[in-house]
Amino acid sequence: MERLTLEEIISRFRSDRRFMENVRAFREIPAAAGRFSPLPAWLHPRLRAVLEARGFQNLYEHQAEALELVRRGRDVVLVTPTASGKTLCYNIPVLQRALEVPDSRALYLFPTKALAQDQLKEFGEMARGLGGEIKSHTYDGDTPDDARQAIRRQANVVITNPDMLHAGILPHHTKWQKLFSSLDYVVIDELHTYRGVFGSHLANVIRRLRRIARFYGKDPLFICCSATVANPGEHAARLVGKEFALIDRSGAPRAAKTFIFYNPPVVNRELGIRQSALAPARKIALQLMDNGIQTILFAGSRLTVEVLTKYLKDGAEKREPGAEKVVAGYRGGYLPELRRRIERDLREKNILGVVGTNALELGIDIGELDACIMVGYPGSIAGTWQQSGRAGRRADRSLALLIARSSPMDQFITENPEYFFAGSPEHCRINPDNLLILVSHIKCAAFELPFEEGESFGEEKLEEFLAYLEEKGILHSANGRWHWTAEHYPANEIGLRSIDAENVVVVDVTEKGGRRVIAEVDWDSAFTTVHEHAIYMVESEQYHVDRLDLDRREAHVRKVDVDYYTDAMTYTDIRVLDGFETKQDGNAVVEHGEVKVSRKVVGYKKIKFYTAENVGYGEVSLPEREMHTTSYWFTLPLAMLDTLPYTRAEMIDGLCGLAYAVHHIAAMILMADIRDMDRCVADRSGRWFVHFGPGGRKPASAGSDSPENFDPTVFIYDAYPGGIGFSDLLFRIHRDILAAAFRLISSCPCAAGCPGCVGPVLDVGYRAKKAALSVIEIALGSPPGKSPAPPALETGGENGRTESVRRKGRK
Amino acid sequence: MSIGDKLRRIRGEGGSGRKEQPPQTREEEGRSKDERIDDLRRRIREILERRPSGPAAARKSGIPRGALPGEEVRTRRGSVLVNSSRILRDDFHGKRRICETAMPMDRIGVLAGRSVFSPFRCEDALFLDTETTGLSGGTGTFPFLVGLGWFEGGNFVVNQIFARDFDEEAALLTCLSDVAREKKFLVTFNGRAFDLNLLATRYILNRIDNPLSGLPHLDLLFPSRRLLGHRLENSRLATLEKMVLGVRRDYDVPSSEIPQRYFDWLRSGNAGLMTDVLEHNRMDVATMAVLVGHLCDLFGSADGFAAAADGSDLLALARMCIDRGEKLTAERLLADLIAAGPGPLGTDAGTELSLLYKRSGRWAEAAGIWETMAGRDPGCLFALVELAKWHEHKTKNFKTAEALVAKALDNLPGDDIDWREALLYRLTRLKRKMGATKTE
Repeated sequence: MERLTLEEIISRFRSDRRFMENVRAFREIPAAAGRFSPLPAWLHPRLRAVLEARGFQNLYEHQAEALELVRRGRDVVLVTPTASGKTLCYNIPVLQRALEVPDSRALYLFPTKALAQDQLKEFGEMARGLGGEIKSHTYDGDTPDDARQAIRRQANVVITNPDMLHAGILPHHTKWQKLFSSLDYVVIDELHTYRGVFGSHLANVIRRLRRIARFYGKDPLFICCSATVANPGEHAARLVGKEFALIDRSGAPRAAKTFIFYNPPVVNRELGIRQSALAPARKIALQLMDNGIQTILFAGSRLTVEVLTKYLKDGAEKREPGAEKVVAGYRGGYLPELRRRIERDLREKNILGVVGTNALELGIDIGELDACIMVGYPGSIAGTWQQSGRAGRRADRSLALLIARSSPMDQFITENPEYFFAGSPEHCRINPDNLLILVSHIKCAAFELPFEEGESFGEEKLEEFLAYLEEKGILHSANGRWHWTAEHYPANEIGLRSIDAENVVVVDVTEKGGRRVIAEVDWDSAFTTVHEHAIYMVESEQYHVDRLDLDRREAHVRKVDVDYYTDAMTYTDIRVLDGFETKQDGNAVVEHGEVKVSRKVVGYKKIKFYTAENVGYGEVSLPEREMHTTSYWFTLPLAMLDTLPYTRAEMIDGLCGLAYAVHHIAAMILMADIRDMDRCVADRSGRWFVHFGPGGRKPASAGSDSPENFDPTVFIYDAYPGGIGFSDLLFRIHRDILAAAFRLISSCPCAAGCPGCVGPVLDVGYRAKKAALSVIEIALGSPPGKSPAPPALETGGENGRTESVRRKGRK
Repeated sequence: MSIGDKLRRIRGEGGSGRKEQPPQTREEEGRSKDERIDDLRRRIREILERRPSGPAAARKSGIPRGALPGEEVRTRRGSVLVNSSRILRDDFHGKRRICETAMPMDRIGVLAGRSVFSPFRCEDALFLDTETTGLSGGTGTFPFLVGLGWFEGGNFVVNQIFARDFDEEAALLTCLSDVAREKKFLVTFNGRAFDLNLLATRYILNRIDNPLSGLPHLDLLFPSRRLLGHRLENSRLATLEKMVLGVRRDYDVPSSEIPQRYFDWLRSGNAGLMTDVLEHNRMDVATMAVLVGHLCDLFGSADGFAAAADGSDLLALARMCIDRGEKLTAERLLADLIAAGPGPLGTDAGTELSLLYKRSGRWAEAAGIWETMAGRDPGCLFALVELAKWHEHKTKNFKTAEALVAKALDNLPGDDIDWREALLYRLTRLKRKMGATKTE
């Protein structure tokens, strides 16, 4: 069989009518020539020689610009595409400095250990070219104990992750005296991954880092790199607490790329169910591999990776016995030797297809392949560009294909491709002064170094925290300094990737007198997952919860074998405590502020496996939990909604459907997990509210039996106590969110609601989809129009008859 | 609204269905019932023990300071309390008189595994033990009490430097520097991993040069664990002093309670909380002084060994001497153990000594030991095999060697396949060699 080139395959796609029916975007991204600058004159001759030997006779413009800015002492944040040579922008200044001042030190932060390893390799190669006296080392949980002391003393570059910096380095800074007292540069790569709770924690870790560096007389320069987001400069400034110079124009050359958005056909219009994304992925991947085109596939979960790998192996084997070897899985947990072997086989073209998880989108050293297939939207525009950047050789055309799943995000992106192609609307938001997070890090900081009178830490008043902690007996003041006076070691109790250290342990008591801890669940989800009589599942084993002891933070479970699982029923009640800002937009009153959310698990349903039949109910008696957090909300006039041809119940269905869509779009714009936020439809004054279950289910009833004459309000709130900084942005872009929700819902081909727009029809009712659209029209005051023009989300919607009232004072 | 109220509000504390309970700190909530009961016990005990002394405010005015033993010492960085006491030369600490501690520096060198001690005298040693606000390490742990000891004219002086509050830390460290400057080496128990690390951290935090960093250091934990630990449940200082040194304490604060005692002292100014801690620390320092004496005495004298010593300790010491290249001492210790008569200890000692001789090429002496061992226990596999090797390779007496191997095979437990194979292999080789000699 004659092999086709990628160009030929792409043109066959284009002329394949059945294929094109499902294509929502078919973009040619043209090649671009590189813009170059000479190596700077001040470069150390040895470093120049190493660069030239590695083929760098010139730099890209953005690299040269970064080097100049760093040279002049500016903190720099770099926003350029994958494979644009970002690492040189920090490795060159660090190596240059180490040649000028041999004792100089730098700290590199990467979000994962794997990325740190890749960087170690790259830096090590350059440093070896310089003779090997400049040393770099990773320092993380895998670092052997006997190597640690040498690293602390000798490594010019310590490559670590935020968690290790927080719990392993800062609390022992005196052992790192050499590092801190010569710390010239801090490098933070993948800056956009530090958002939400994790980012808010990291901002405080950086505060601690800078505080310790000050103690040793240093104020290091920060060099940050980020994927393309809407607010890189602002984000860097908030994370590090310094002003940054922003470099966002890449001078790197770009090969031509064809980008296709593929939305699998609807197979059940009633339920809005589409063909699985795996089917076209398999078919297209095999077609590409048949023609010798190296393809990388990204799948959302480990399970999908395994399934897809098997599909492709089977497919290849069927065509040619023994050919299954041309396919490899590639996911977290693979050992380094296996990784190296796969990388080598890819380079030597022994492997044609490789399947990886989203988690490995960053920094795998597998060279550049011809085609990239994303099975499901990677969750962010930044991540999509990063994954697609895995395909694309210097000169040849490459292919990137995104196959949508049924989720609202996937559907929105594929149905509104302009949103993706016309610049990034995604924002990184953090709230470093979230009181819970802040107080945790004030404890850590006090452990590291006593606080002095007049010191500050964050934007809140430090003295009040110190007084509070002294009252709790955790700090003790003597002569104007606050000292740590507790036996425990605070950093151990504070995880950076969640908000509160409190967990409930799940104890297996199946064996008589036995106690085996099998899992931990965070305090919040304990209420819905390990309430009494819940069926808790770990690694496909079922456990019945006998007892939930909230005082001891323990759930006692027993192994069982039943044919059902349980689903907790909760109600959420929300009350506005304080509005920070309010505006009239169309017919809606839009606000953001502080709210009190009360949640209670009232019972559970038993649901049969496979059939999803409801086979029973039970009651649960657990205390109500209250949380104060920040929220964005908008209120609609009931009088106007009443003019719509829907019953009250249908209208509420519509509002719930709208809330579902808004919730998903908000999460998308904030690159947040859907669980980082929550939604509620209620009366603004909290006199009635709609129940939601965990999956968006709505046992359709309310605080009082029906909404009386109250104006309904849709709340989207931060699902973390104290808030994580989402709400004020949502307030600003309210109009754009509603417009996006309108497009999502109106372009969805399902009949009456599906998981891709307003939620599954069985949850929201049969008229929710229509009602939701009508509600949006009322809210906006005018039909939003169906033009697919991209929303200008950065502008912050002071649209229409807007009146902004700032009320800063709190109760 | 105060930060505290805001935090409680955000967390939803008070709305959690536990309204009836008084507000608890999160730390308290997280503790188990047992811990809370222990806490209650401790508080009750404190109330019972409470001596008439004022609260924190009164302490600041100086009243309870007098209730603590010791006197105020002025340093360049402020004042600190120093409690000085001495153990007279003939006083007993446990089974030993304090003046019985001699510290021959060659032995100290063997115990420490370093030979840098030879120019020093007993009086140059600075014994050091700290009490701290936590056991986990890290920069936030504060050594509020540094117990120091040294020999002076045969007596043993214990000086305890106590920081009455955190603001006396610089003074405490300066005071320690002043003492350390007069001394030439350190003796601690687990100081390498704990006390010295911690002090190094605190010197950095207070921007004072660390006077201890250059001093040679004998950490008694390692030799104690090696020489005594094999017959004890653990190698903690408290275990060693009770089981080996015969030290009895009437009342002792458990180490785990000490941090909380200090925190309570800071808040209450109750001197009674601290006098127990001072006594605990003083005992620890004194115990180190007799422990080092005990360890040095294990070496015995050239003409015999200390009768009081446990034979297994001497075997452990001999092995340590072998590792550290102290062959002569090892030989003497092992010879003494062999001379003490048959028994498992004598066998082990014979094994070690014969191997020592063998490695030095002193075959005849080694063979002498093997003969003795085989004489005492005709089934002694080790002796039979070593003798067989000797006869095969050195005396070339293949016949004797063959007989020894055959005897060893007879005595071999049936299930020991590895040994059996090795012996059969040797037997075959011997037979071949004998055949070769015959045909010649």
